Amino acid sequence: MGPLKLFKRWLGDPAFARKKQFLRSLDLFDGLSAGEIGELVHALHARTYRPGEVVFVEGDIGRALFILETGRVELTRLDASGKPERIHTLKPGEFFGEMALLESLPRTATATATETSRLHLLYRSKLDGLLQSQPRIGVVVMSHLARLLSSRLRRARGPAPARADD
Amino acid sequence: MTERARPAPSASALLLSAALLFAAYRARTALTPFLLAAAFAYVLSPVATFFEAKGFRRLPVIVLGYLCALAFTAAAYYAIKPLAVEQGRHLLDRAPAYSRALQAYAAVGETSLVHRLPLPARVSRQALDAAVAAAMTRLQDAPSSLLGVLPLLAHAVLVPFIGFFFLKDSTDGFEALIQAAPSRYVEQALHLAAEIDTALGNYLRGLIVVAVAIGTATFLGLTLLGVENALAIALLCGVTSVVPYLGVAIGIVVGGAMALIQFSSLAAAGKVVLLFVAIRFADEILLQPVIARHSVHLHPMVNLLALVVGGEMFGFLGLVFAVPAACVLKAVAQVSWSWYATETGLQPGYASDAAGIPYT
Repeated sequence: MGPLKLFKRWLGDPAFARKKQFLRSLDLFDGLSAGEIGELVHALHARTYRPGEVVFVEGDIGRALFILETGRVELTRLDASGKPERIHTLKPGEFFGEMALLESLPRTATATATETSRLHLLYRSKLDGLLQSQPRIGVVVMSHLARLLSSRLRRARGPAPARADD
Repeated sequence: MTERARPAPSASALLLSAALLFAAYRARTALTPFLLAAAFAYVLSPVATFFEAKGFRRLPVIVLGYLCALAFTAAAYYAIKPLAVEQGRHLLDRAPAYSRALQAYAAVGETSLVHRLPLPARVSRQALDAAVAAAMTRLQDAPSSLLGVLPLLAHAVLVPFIGFFFLKDSTDGFEALIQAAPSRYVEQALHLAAEIDTALGNYLRGLIVVAVAIGTATFLGLTLLGVENALAIALLCGVTSVVPYLGVAIGIVVGGAMALIQFSSLAAAGKVVLLFVAIRFADEILLQPVIARHSVHLHPMVNLLALVVGGEMFGFLGLVFAVPAACVLKAVAQVSWSWYATETGLQPGYASDAAGIPYT
């Protein structure tokens, strides 16, 4: 190995490269360049949640998007009788709480880690900061969120009716 | 494990925080280098983060940065050493002459004022004698007051040394704090940290830009006007510019006095005063809008109050950190209000007439 490669290896950060690779695999950041993903790595904060630890509770004001790197997170909602009802279990690579990036509104479900889980948080004001300094990152993320919102609305409304001339 | 009720901060936690703050106040002298080092690391941290975002490890980047800064300092030292030595020697040689000239001006001014004041000559003379004596005492105390700032200069080595560790470990330390925060408070903790960072970071980084700009403008302006000891006065103005308004005020007094003594002309002193007024306006018009754009805006009266309280409690260091501390307090108040308003529904959500149009 040459001295230049050794120097590059001494300077390079393998943990950063791993985080970058993980973020590149997510749909939410599809279309961002390597440099932009690098900027994004620094806008995210990582936290490990123990099994049973609550990430947020239904009714809390949402302020961040959560991306699950490892582990499992369960989403529950209180039913009419006040009992928690499981609505979804998230797997690594999935994200939740994304509407907090658009509006500070009460969470519509409770998120609980069911096993040791590593989560990355993208805080709303960090994204606002990126929108100012790196507008392309903000535009890509917001565009993905808008499409996600649209597809959820479509699903909530049900399938499109058949055309009259069909 | 489900958490329904959000526990209120316990009285013991509040008491512990108050005790820690009081202990920090009592030990403020010992904590000075650590506080300065934290500010130093905080200001330089974005440079390390910039390279981290390019995939470099933080530690080698900081080590290389320190080596570059060391090389630059050595080069700058050798570049300005002849001028600094010459001006220093000149200042020491001429100090007795400056003192005599100042006393002569005071005597002439006093005689002229005695006849102009609408008071009996004896009363006017007594009052002016007392005023001149007080001014001269303050002038004699000036070197010892300036020497009082010297311990801060002794931190010139200690601050970068401690700052190295702050720079190296700050991101890990922040992640550890986030990890230690109760899970349901993580979002709030990040909100608070982001708002403080916005308010404080831009202010502190802007302060350095202002100090360098005022120092450079002072040196160039005084050199063009032919005023002696331009480098020493520029350094003094640049360093004291970290306290709002102080750099320009010192420039007017010291630069004006120097011009008055050197040229024996009020017009020359007037030109120096005009120079500093122009520097102040340029700072206000060109620099402050850029610096204040992303930081918390404080009312000038709040600025002044913060400076008076900071100076009274912590001396020169209090003057330097008074405005940043006020910025942090304002950010905390804004975040607290934002939480309260969103939790209680005082802050309405996004509403648009277009929301009533069916999804198509």
